[in-house]
Amino acid sequence: VLGVSSVTAALGRLVVVEPRPRATLWLGLVVAAVSILAALAAGAVLLAATGSNPGDVYRTMIDSTLGSPRDLSRTLNLATPLILCGLAVAVAYRMRLWTIGAEGQLYVGAITGSGMALWLGSGTPGWLLILASLVAAMLGGAFWALVAAVPRAYLGTDEVLTTLMLNFVALYLMSFLIFGSMSPWRDKADLARPHGAPLPEGSELPTLFERGNAGIVVAAAVALLVWVLLARTRLGFQIEILGDSTRAGGYAGVAVPVVIMLVFAISGALAGLAGGIQVTNETAALEPETLNQGLGYSGIVVAALARLNPLAVVPVGFLVAILLGSQTGLSIEGIPPAVVTVLQGLILLFVAAGQFHLAYRVRRPGVSARRSA
Amino acid sequence: VINESTGVEFIVAAIVAGTPLVYATVGELLGQRSGVMNLGVEGMMLFGALAAYWGLVSSGSLVVGTLVGIVAGSLLAAVHAFWSVTLRANQIVSGIAIVIVGTGLATYLGSVGDDPLVTRVAPTTYGPVFPESMRDLPVVGPVIFGHDALVYLSWLFVAAAGVYLFRTRAGLAARSVGEDPASADAAGISVAAFRYAHVIAGGAAAGLAGAYLTLALFGAWQDNLSAGTGWIAFALVILAAWRPWRALVAAYVFGGLTSLGFNLQLIEVDVPLDVLSMLPFLATFLALVLVSSRRIARGIGAPAALAEPYWREHR
Repeated sequence: VLGVSSVTAALGRLVVVEPRPRATLWLGLVVAAVSILAALAAGAVLLAATGSNPGDVYRTMIDSTLGSPRDLSRTLNLATPLILCGLAVAVAYRMRLWTIGAEGQLYVGAITGSGMALWLGSGTPGWLLILASLVAAMLGGAFWALVAAVPRAYLGTDEVLTTLMLNFVALYLMSFLIFGSMSPWRDKADLARPHGAPLPEGSELPTLFERGNAGIVVAAAVALLVWVLLARTRLGFQIEILGDSTRAGGYAGVAVPVVIMLVFAISGALAGLAGGIQVTNETAALEPETLNQGLGYSGIVVAALARLNPLAVVPVGFLVAILLGSQTGLSIEGIPPAVVTVLQGLILLFVAAGQFHLAYRVRRPGVSARRSA
Repeated sequence: VINESTGVEFIVAAIVAGTPLVYATVGELLGQRSGVMNLGVEGMMLFGALAAYWGLVSSGSLVVGTLVGIVAGSLLAAVHAFWSVTLRANQIVSGIAIVIVGTGLATYLGSVGDDPLVTRVAPTTYGPVFPESMRDLPVVGPVIFGHDALVYLSWLFVAAAGVYLFRTRAGLAARSVGEDPASADAAGISVAAFRYAHVIAGGAAAGLAGAYLTLALFGAWQDNLSAGTGWIAFALVILAAWRPWRALVAAYVFGGLTSLGFNLQLIEVDVPLDVLSMLPFLATFLALVLVSSRRIARGIGAPAALAEPYWREHR
């Protein structure tokens, strides 16, 4: 304990840390790149220590996700929910609303989206079936976000924990619909092996190439919309003000509770849309065990790495899709796919450290005028 | 068919399921009292559980396994301490990263290699401390004398934490660091040293909670075996109003809720498993909404400088 304080004191004599006026885009890119490289380096140590060749593992990750048009199409499909969840997180974090709820909102979106598709049935025109399912998914996600947003807006209930608790509630709700009850989501034709009722033909998005569907186009378009929302609208301006200071926003006449609920609803709708696209295109039935893969939590990694910039979320979502998409390829090579989880966590950790360099600069004392203490 | 023996079994099940919560909650509480919020409990717990199991399987000794679990939890906590105290990183983001890293490391290390830990059988597990003659006493036998060493250690831990925080000079200093770091600093207390020590102690406790899961409760390693317990522990800190004794009570109440499925089966009530698994999380959500209006949170004792990095230059 004493050692720590003396080290801190010694550092204080060597360097001065002071706020940086404004972080540049260039610096943001450097921090993102360094975060990824540092995570890969730390991951390499872990891999080497457990008897794998890091070079081979990283090559497998690239080959299995980008090696063929079919692999690439699958990676793009995976990027879709990652981009949408990244946007969901970015919108909320811009306003310093620390939601961890994208995961649960994705589940609820999958439940309401698949519910709508099942209810409309196969007689419905394709475009209506797709549109109605995705709108239902967005409404479901928005509703689930509001369950935490209303107490946050009016009581100040800390959103970190409430959104997290609701993730588990949504997870067990989804599980209950398939494993614990005779709900309309469950396939009655095969009761011995509980699974979701198959969604009607035509509820999936059109195919672009190989296995790739139009989801990635939807996600990119939504990213553009979110950018417009944040940069060009009144609500976006209010979000920026409240992100800086709730009190200043209150003085400026912003209806703070309303904006909080709006932002949560938008965030939830984006995560819900991710769930809707997942359930109609990837699982084609409400399958709790396949939908439960942590995409909402990965959204936090995407948003942080993109520094909460909606346009940057698109390429970053694709990068994280390469990481997550390689799990099958790694399993085939006998590498436990959880190494991907470790890498994601390390990236987030290093991005968090990088924020320090974006917000402050470190210099030798005496180089320029001392800040008054 | 509710009778005395069902009541006793319910209490015993609540204590058993509540013990990891006791360690993790009181540990997190120590860190928060010094002003650092560590959302990473779930990750430290899982990494501690895996490490403890590795320690047990490789050495054959429960003590060695437990110590390895404690060290593993402390290591992850030290990373969080460095990030939040020295780098002044966002504590929420850093904590989430600790959860992801800890969960990933535990799952990876549990399944890597030719003879992975996930398939290994525990050579021994924690068993009852007291002789059968004492454990067979009515009511007090199972409730007081029926437990393993880690349960008794958790009672000592709660008592020690309570005495330390509220009856010692160091505890007072720690609380002042969490309430008003600038004044504590002016009084010659090292804010950074106290925060590091408390966060690392919290990680040690979370690692011990994990060790309890693998070495006492399950006697095995499986992926994600804490199933959200770490998150509930984090919430219990608020519900226990940052006080160790209340944390003990809260942990046993939630332990009871967690083991409700088992108990309802005992009295032959049929409730779907998923609904039972959902209960602790739903209850935590409702309880948080009830108590955590920020005004109330301050009133019940939230450290004023919680989750705020301290800069001497900005004083």
